[in-house]
Amino acid sequence: MSEALATISRPQRWDVPFESEMGAEAVARILSIPPFSQIDASRFPASTSLPDILLNDTGLRSFKKNQVIVREGDYGNSAFFIITGSVRAALGKDAIPAEVLGRRQPEKKDFLSTLRQLWGNARYPEVRSLRRYKDAKAGTEHEKVDTTAIFLHDIPSVLKGGTAVLTAGMFFGEIAALSRTPRTATIFAEEDCELLEIRWQGLRELRLRAPEIKQFIDTNYRKYSLENHLRETKYFKDLSPAELKEVANQTRFETYGSFDWHSNYKKNRDVAPEERIKEEPLIAEEGQYANGLVLIRAGFARMSQKYNQGERTASYLSRGQMFGFDEIAHNWNSKDSAPLQYTLRALGYVDVLVVPTSVVEQYILPKIPQSEFPPPIVAQIKQINDRRDGELSTDVVEFLVDNRFINGRATMVMDLDRCTRCDDCIRACASAHDNNPRFVRHGHQIGRYMIANACMHCLDPVCMIGCPTGAIHRNALGGQVVINDTTCIGCSTCANSCPYNNIQMVEIRNEFGEHILDQESRPVTKAAKCDLCVEQVTGPACINACPHDALTRVDMQDTQTFAKWLQR
Amino acid sequence: MASTLTFFSKRRLINFGLLLSAVAAFWVLQEIYANGIHATAILSGATLFGTCLVLALFNARKKLPFIPLLKASTWTQFHIYAGWFAVVVFFFHTGLRLPDGRFEIALYIVFLAVALSGVLGLIISRIYPSRLRLYGENLIYERIPGLRQQLQTDVEKIIWKSVNETKSFTLARMYESKLKDYFSTKKNTLLHLVGSEEAVNDLTEELNQLQRYMVASERVFLAEIIECVKAKDNLDMQATCQGVLKYWLFIHIPLTFSLLLMGLLHGLMALAFN
Repeated sequence: MSEALATISRPQRWDVPFESEMGAEAVARILSIPPFSQIDASRFPASTSLPDILLNDTGLRSFKKNQVIVREGDYGNSAFFIITGSVRAALGKDAIPAEVLGRRQPEKKDFLSTLRQLWGNARYPEVRSLRRYKDAKAGTEHEKVDTTAIFLHDIPSVLKGGTAVLTAGMFFGEIAALSRTPRTATIFAEEDCELLEIRWQGLRELRLRAPEIKQFIDTNYRKYSLENHLRETKYFKDLSPAELKEVANQTRFETYGSFDWHSNYKKNRDVAPEERIKEEPLIAEEGQYANGLVLIRAGFARMSQKYNQGERTASYLSRGQMFGFDEIAHNWNSKDSAPLQYTLRALGYVDVLVVPTSVVEQYILPKIPQSEFPPPIVAQIKQINDRRDGELSTDVVEFLVDNRFINGRATMVMDLDRCTRCDDCIRACASAHDNNPRFVRHGHQIGRYMIANACMHCLDPVCMIGCPTGAIHRNALGGQVVINDTTCIGCSTCANSCPYNNIQMVEIRNEFGEHILDQESRPVTKAAKCDLCVEQVTGPACINACPHDALTRVDMQDTQTFAKWLQR
Repeated sequence: MASTLTFFSKRRLINFGLLLSAVAAFWVLQEIYANGIHATAILSGATLFGTCLVLALFNARKKLPFIPLLKASTWTQFHIYAGWFAVVVFFFHTGLRLPDGRFEIALYIVFLAVALSGVLGLIISRIYPSRLRLYGENLIYERIPGLRQQLQTDVEKIIWKSVNETKSFTLARMYESKLKDYFSTKKNTLLHLVGSEEAVNDLTEELNQLQRYMVASERVFLAEIIECVKAKDNLDMQATCQGVLKYWLFIHIPLTFSLLLMGLLHGLMALAFN
């Protein structure tokens, strides 16, 4: 009898709880602690009740004194609530040297496992073991988490910057978890402590239905994230703590566009670019006085300049970049006054911090040596396709921005003048992934270059927003967007959310090539996409397999490397 | 000067330099042997066979994409320049003359066939990709037959619509006499191989000539048909060039294995009888 005849039950959200040892007693205990005790449980629907969220999306964790809880730079898919004890956050970039943090190397296949692929790969596409799913439901298989305990020793000597203590009743890690960005600080236990770790799907539900939690988190966000962001920004690093606090107090938070920008983008994709640009929320306009320094906190913004009857995109900005500094510096330094040279518009969704010009003039500019000031502004308009070495040409920038490829951290770019359509990349991908390639050698084209339909491992992976189980998540070490096949319930939310159509739903099979069915005899589907060969020792098989140097993966934030590749 | 060279130009220069060095080193070795034990034929034969063996390993490397054995593009570069090296050694070995025995002549021809198919592969892999891009929409090879069928269905719909709306049969007659065959199978393979657009230009010209026999409303349908003819031409061009890019290896690789087998036999016989 083939394995397919023994069907599996259709996967559900909480088939695999975040922590299998979480029980009713622990849930009752958490519900007795504020702010959880203040939550009105009736606001939650029966299908996702408050106790169920705590039971399935949270886990209790104990940490010893000086034990590292989260590391700066790691990608976090969960937030923490301090139940007892206190923790300390090391503030500032690289506040603790990387070598002290005991960061693991990404887990790769060992030599034998690599070799085993030669004969061990299934004959049919998308073959899965039924046992794997049954074990997961029985609680014997869990997502791999880094459980290695790392302790800091001789803390005063390893700490480079300041620290902040967080005590019982506070949250941390929620920014990284909710905004799908790397952790901004290393946090270690100040003393023995007990924490509640909350998977971000659970945190999202709590924020949605419990205003107490939302307010709690939002207040924390403004209080800690703002100063941290300023501290990491060029020109703000040298401010004293008191000055930084003052600057932070006068800084405004502004949000433009919609958080789930992908649905709007998909709707307007066919609208003419010159019309679409007008729909983009305006943050600052060319020709106006620069009344504030704009710092991009999250999302993307388009920097454009009037050009004949339209607008020419000069560049795009993302997290950590600023707008308006050259003009503010020019006006402070020169007798004449220069208005904003570019227009800034939100691309989808963008969070910005606006530091008023007067604050910049009072605290920032006096500290900058004259040699580091930007050159005086001379009104000039570059011609279309003016291009220097190491710069992307205007048409490429327009193409990347219009199609939102700027979101990509590992965008697959193909040079069609070198690609012989041999499909070695496709075959290599298939041999590394269940006999089914994880990308399509097809996509948008600009000149001789094509952006193939392959997961770009986005800076803002909107595919993760709606995932009910957290199956699609970031790899904690490399930040690659990957799917945990065991916890994927095949709901297609991620595939529908991906603005680039880079996630496919596949029907899975048993080792005999027969479809695996649920109780109602429907094929069980799973989401499948490029995982950047995260487990392969060679890295992405597609790049390695290309015999003609026609294919690469590009981080669109690193425009210089991309420009160099285009001009090779 | 050197800083203005692109990555590919630099790589070409370096690889060409390495090729020249290898040829020079081989020539020096030949000279040493020629003055010594007079076994130059064995040296050049063994070098040639060894080089061909290593060249053939490229195919094995392609089957092992997940094993860390350098990038395939590095192998390609090695394959190209080691291939040229093999050609040079081959002429050292044969002394630029045809061998005597039948088996040796067959081996000689097989080597030339492998080398020529390799050079042809190199040339088309450098010329066809840009031609494919510039000619028309980039298509996936496996989807082309389906697209061709779809296009034919679309054309037939246009013809029916034209007949129904204009009550004129000019386009329908043209379809029956010429276009039906054009849309049903791949056409003009040889012309596409050399990059000629002669056939499609002739056909569109012939269709344009029909305008004078048409009512105004029929000309709208004619314009649509001409677009379809151009789309079909692109399908044929993509199918032809992509097909050659894919299938030339089906000549090169079997010939290579024949060459290795024959080369091994030739070597064994040479050692046995000398």
